[in-house]
Amino acid sequence: MATDNAAADGFGEVSRVRGIVFEYLSFGASVFGLVALGVLLVYVAVDAFDLANASPEWLLTYFLTLVVPFLGFCLYSADDPDVTRRAVVALGGGLVAVAALFTAVEALVAPIPRLNWQLAYLFVVAAPVTAYLAYVGSRGRVGGVGFGLLGRLIGGVAIGLAVGTLFLVLDPLVWFLAYTLGILPAVGLYALGRGRSSSRAQTAAAPIGLLGLVAAVFLRDVVPVFPSDLIIYLWTIAVPVAAAGAVLVAGRSGRTAAAVVGGVPLAVATAGGFLAAGAGLPAPTVLLVLVLTGVPTGVYVSRVVDVGEGLVGLGLPLLLAAGVVAGALIVEAWGVPAPDPWLDPSYLTEAPSRTPTEAGLYPAIVGSVIIIAMVAVLSFALGVGTSVFLEEYTPESGPLGTLTRILQVNVANLAAVPSVVYGLLGLGLFANLLGLGIGTAVTAALTLSLLILPITIISAQEAIRSVPDDLRRGSDAMGATRWQTTKNVVLPEAMPGILTGTILALGRAIGETAPLIMIGAATTVFRAPDSLFSRFSAMPMQIYTWAGFPQADFRYGVVAAGVITLLIILVGMNGTAILLRNRAERGS
Amino acid sequence: MTDSTESPDLTRRGGLTRLKEGTYGGLFAACAAITLLTTAAIFVTLLSDAVVFFRSISIVEFLAGTNWSPNPAGGGQAFGIIPLLIGTITVTITAAFISIPVGTLTAIYLSEYATPNARSILKPLLEILAGIPTVVYGYFALVYVTPALKATLFPEMSTFNALAASIMVGIMTIPMVSSISEDAMSAVPDQLRQAGYGLGATKFEVSTGIVVPASISGIASSYILAVSRAIGETMIVVVAMGAQARMPEVRQALFGIPFVNPADVLFESGMTITVAMVQITGGDLTGGTLPYNSMFALGLALFAVTLVMNVISDIIAQRYREEY
Repeated sequence: MATDNAAADGFGEVSRVRGIVFEYLSFGASVFGLVALGVLLVYVAVDAFDLANASPEWLLTYFLTLVVPFLGFCLYSADDPDVTRRAVVALGGGLVAVAALFTAVEALVAPIPRLNWQLAYLFVVAAPVTAYLAYVGSRGRVGGVGFGLLGRLIGGVAIGLAVGTLFLVLDPLVWFLAYTLGILPAVGLYALGRGRSSSRAQTAAAPIGLLGLVAAVFLRDVVPVFPSDLIIYLWTIAVPVAAAGAVLVAGRSGRTAAAVVGGVPLAVATAGGFLAAGAGLPAPTVLLVLVLTGVPTGVYVSRVVDVGEGLVGLGLPLLLAAGVVAGALIVEAWGVPAPDPWLDPSYLTEAPSRTPTEAGLYPAIVGSVIIIAMVAVLSFALGVGTSVFLEEYTPESGPLGTLTRILQVNVANLAAVPSVVYGLLGLGLFANLLGLGIGTAVTAALTLSLLILPITIISAQEAIRSVPDDLRRGSDAMGATRWQTTKNVVLPEAMPGILTGTILALGRAIGETAPLIMIGAATTVFRAPDSLFSRFSAMPMQIYTWAGFPQADFRYGVVAAGVITLLIILVGMNGTAILLRNRAERGS
Repeated sequence: MTDSTESPDLTRRGGLTRLKEGTYGGLFAACAAITLLTTAAIFVTLLSDAVVFFRSISIVEFLAGTNWSPNPAGGGQAFGIIPLLIGTITVTITAAFISIPVGTLTAIYLSEYATPNARSILKPLLEILAGIPTVVYGYFALVYVTPALKATLFPEMSTFNALAASIMVGIMTIPMVSSISEDAMSAVPDQLRQAGYGLGATKFEVSTGIVVPASISGIASSYILAVSRAIGETMIVVVAMGAQARMPEVRQALFGIPFVNPADVLFESGMTITVAMVQITGGDLTGGTLPYNSMFALGLALFAVTLVMNVISDIIAQRYREEY
């Protein structure tokens, strides 16, 4: 009856309830996975840092000395009263709301294990507000400078540590010869060729470099005297990085600034290297970290001073360092009981152990870094080559077009092959048939490269496809050959996109475990690998092994620390990729 | 570019240029050939060892056997894939119960309801779910989800069980369903929606009555991809599900109809095809033994199943795509 009336009136009453319920249901569904993951991440962080045993005083101390000044910095940079008001309301109101809600749930439903309302406040309110303010703050001039400096410091340390790790398996003497005889002449010739715009010199650079590399391998056993390791690293890494920084600055702000930017980090690094060698630390790594942090920081500071805007932002690293020191002093002076985190410096520098408190991740981290470095080189070269071939060299139609389509379908199917099948391929082909050895770093790197190759290719293809055709036609019209167009126009335009895709794919490779198990990677190694053919372990392998241990200290402590380490590295890699992409988008 | 020519070199003689062009073209072609070689290598590697395996164990025995024990303590090896299939199907179906409804609703929300701002935040965040290493998901399932389920809903659950692993596989595959479905829904032209509104439909009716049917081929292909991903998933089940190849107990119900209690499968440990492969690697890896070869037979089965599913998903997406 009702419907009849409605029809007669023309418009009936439309039920809104169903639509509203559906909208909220679908919204709930879209955050369901994220919330579940968030809760699990909170728990694993609490376990890794032993926050369940952190006293409220300890949390309050660091909140006041570290988080509050940081928030103040972000608000100062944002310089927006509206944002400040909202932040204060969120932090203050959140405190009351979380405390009340948490207490109510504990009282009425059931106690929540290993969390208290202070921790809940930190994770549910303080962390998102901090992240949001950091985002808003970084868009201001001051914040941009501050985060830029902080990023260069952290990035320099991370890259320095990673490169230093690579030299564990690289023979420094071969490297010394290869650099002196191959890389240096080749780069020099190429630079000369560019300067004088002589294409002969540029063309000759690659063969001469190759010749030098081959010569280096032969001369390794012939040359009787070599300089010490420290001098080798100084000559092959610190000097070129410092020189590059100096050249960069010299072009903009004169010789004095260039000398400071290049010379000071070099001197500090040299001194640090000698001191570290005396103190028993790995001198090359110390040297690398110092020079790779110092030179980019110097270049950046010199640029900021030149521009003269947002100088206050340069104080951000100091502010954070002061916060950590002040927090530590207060905790020490007042005897505030501090938690005993599983994830501490000794965890990152020690070998695994049967005793949970002594267990460390060092050999696995080294293994992961070495594998990822090889995978990066292999998958980048193969991925770019294949995508250039598919996008630039093959026609879309005709008999060759069929080949393109076959290749395309093949890549799409390879992307969907389960990773454990790649593991079987590695075991059957690389480890047993080609004799590269079961569980060696080379086998693992080759297997993982093939595994992420489809992802690299697909993202590189997208990047190349997004280069406007006008640019290619323009280059063609100037009489450039296909390779010249590719090299001078397409690849430079597409490079940020290609790099982003490659780094994201590497993030996939660093977490892969199943292929490593299949090729027989060691479950636990007690020494860091010293050659590409030694048996190695990797971070996810070690996590897998420890997760099988029945002791609670392993399950809830050591493994949690490993998971957090792995996730921090992943976040760092993906963050770099996203920054690259954003910068490229802003640039174009 | 070159300093030697005053006038443009229109004929482009010069062996060096041609040599360079040829070399680079050849290099790129070689890179592309490696992808084809990879596929061929996977086929050959899997087939060659699987053929050796099927010489000792007949295909019927492999496909119909109900006992899987490649390295028994006493003797009497058995290579029957049925218990592994039961494990794999259990995980896949349970995971699909999470990923398919949640993923579809997410796609509808993102394409129909979300503001552009909310979408630009939610989409990359959802991709994180697929980017977390699977061994981490497995650890979560073992150490946090299982104890939580045990303490609240199912006290009779064992430490290693299929349910917690399946939940994690489901959460991991949400973005597969949501992102492909959302692409399909976003491709539905706005005229269709406007036509719906013009007929007096509500937003709910437009979403479920117009957008979803119009993009059904994309949605279906996303389901198949997610299921295929769940079948091949290894580390979550290895860590959280244990490694016991069991046939579930068949109970006699009323009226004499046999049935399997889902709790017998879900709350107990089990073994999937992928777990069986990983478990064998604990033994000899240099080759030549029957368990070693059986690994490749399992790999072949897995490869074939996922390949067929991907091809089907591709065909559905291509053939039944609505052209606007």
